[in-house]
Amino acid sequence: MLLDVQDVSVRFGGIVALDGLTFVIKEGDICGLIGPNGAGKTTMFNVVSRIYDPFKGRISFDGHDLLSVPAHRIAELGIARTFQNLALFPTMSLLENVMVGAHSQGSVGFVQAITRIGAQKENRRIRDVSYDLLRDLNLEKLAHHPAAGLPFGTLKRLEIARALAAAPRFLLLDEPAAGLTHSEVDELADTIVAIRDKFKLTVLLVEHHMSMVMKISDQVVAMEFGRKIAEGTPSEVQSDANVIRAYLGGEV
Amino acid sequence: MLKIKEGSLQHWAIRIVGFALLALLVIYIPTQSETARIGQFASAFTLIIAAMSLNMVLGFTGQISLGHSAFFGIGGYTAAILIRDHGWSPGYTFYAAAVIAFVVGCLIGLPVLRIRGAYLALVTLAVAVLFPTLLRWKKLEWLTDGAKGIDSVKYDDLPVWPILGELKGRDGRAVFSYWLGLLVLVIVYLVCRGLIRSRVGRSLIAIRDNETAAAVMGVNVTRTKVLIFGISASMCALAGVLATLNSGVVTPDGQFVTLLGSIIFLLIMVVGGAGTLSGPIIGGLVYVWLDNTTRGIGTDSSGVLGFVFGWTDQSPATLILGLALIVIMLFAPTGLMGLLRKLTRRIMTIIPRDISPTQ
Repeated sequence: MLLDVQDVSVRFGGIVALDGLTFVIKEGDICGLIGPNGAGKTTMFNVVSRIYDPFKGRISFDGHDLLSVPAHRIAELGIARTFQNLALFPTMSLLENVMVGAHSQGSVGFVQAITRIGAQKENRRIRDVSYDLLRDLNLEKLAHHPAAGLPFGTLKRLEIARALAAAPRFLLLDEPAAGLTHSEVDELADTIVAIRDKFKLTVLLVEHHMSMVMKISDQVVAMEFGRKIAEGTPSEVQSDANVIRAYLGGEV
Repeated sequence: MLKIKEGSLQHWAIRIVGFALLALLVIYIPTQSETARIGQFASAFTLIIAAMSLNMVLGFTGQISLGHSAFFGIGGYTAAILIRDHGWSPGYTFYAAAVIAFVVGCLIGLPVLRIRGAYLALVTLAVAVLFPTLLRWKKLEWLTDGAKGIDSVKYDDLPVWPILGELKGRDGRAVFSYWLGLLVLVIVYLVCRGLIRSRVGRSLIAIRDNETAAAVMGVNVTRTKVLIFGISASMCALAGVLATLNSGVVTPDGQFVTLLGSIIFLLIMVVGGAGTLSGPIIGGLVYVWLDNTTRGIGTDSSGVLGFVFGWTDQSPATLILGLALIVIMLFAPTGLMGLLRKLTRRIMTIIPRDISPTQ
């Protein structure tokens, strides 16, 4: 088990966003996390990337107790994520955005930066790696363009490139297909599988495009009102009575 | 329009010619100008350093500080006390001021940088307001000489520097101030440049652009903010030391020791170009030029100018720059530096070097 989520609950004031959520992800799998809006999927992401603290529960990642790790150490452990509504660095170029993504792969601190000892060498190494990632996501032509003002779909891919720069083992994708056209969604599905294979990743995927989730996931977890309502292979979850009820409403 | 490849022969030629012109100008000023002009440049260097230090915190990291006048004052007072009361050689006071300001900066930054935006502005404002009061405090009079401040900070013999030769008298002092200020400015500039063009600099800008994302990328946000605040404070203290060495006086009412100083540093930084390495240089030169050309405008002028500025016998440079700021913010949010860049881009573009031929 790469990620083991046990009985995790999150509360915001009186609202229970996650209610005893439990699931595990096997190494190398693509795990789809589905559910209607407000089911707590993004909250789950924010718990795993240590932005929110759960009031109950345990999460272990590859044997580490994740909840005792501060947010800035998550990348070092090998966890990277994208954001649903984009959290890029708008004034930086695409290349620089990806280079910040590689922060955990560098070591130059204040003293080395001021004295320039090793800084240039590290810059060159990280820039090369970042450029290769831009190329992997077909963004290399825009490498020196500032991130602000580019189309949503392009920036979504940039988020993936930036996340990959941390050389993660575990990638969390928060609605990567949102706002994309049909052909772009198909392309993205292929990209996700390709990067999973190329970088030996485990992927947790939150997505509303059901066809895409069902096509590429090895395992699907369905949520509603902060609880898990179904879990299994895509076909199992698709035919699950609770899932159908949650999506279509009414009695089954 | 010219298109020039980064690292190509033309690119290097432009760089070398630019650098040579700059070097010529820098040498021309102290050898050919009158003493007063040289002194103005020396004081411009001081302000540029202070604005650069603020730029690291506000321009690049996005954390507003109105407390930098206090760090300027810490530098000024450290130099004055060490030279007058303890007989230190002026050169060593730079190190002492930098260390003290770094420690104070980190201590203030540690609790203060957890808050953001307008609240951070308010808390650092309190630091700036409190500092002169602290200097006047009776119980600290043994150290700071209270309200009257420390004057006659003297260092009799100017060091003999190679090339410059022996400097004597008032002219010599101005020339010395010029070169000393330039030396410190170059060092501070190189430190800023080193920081910005590294992993640290990228994390600073990342914090400015999106703090949450920066943390997820692995940036230790609190530590980075506190350390850059400390480094910025010590740079600003170097400017304070220079100011004291130039004037020989430091008082709690000194222009740059009070809140007004913070505002002036802020003005210089924004007018020159926040978040650009050379912005403060342009801003500082513009400010000092305005300050000197408009000094007599309130008392000497008649007619419209006299009417508008007649209420003040001080230079209205801050007022003019303040008004200019509104215009600049509207038309060139990246300051004069941004404007300059836009203009050069019309004439030529530098095409970045191809990266990693690995495929």
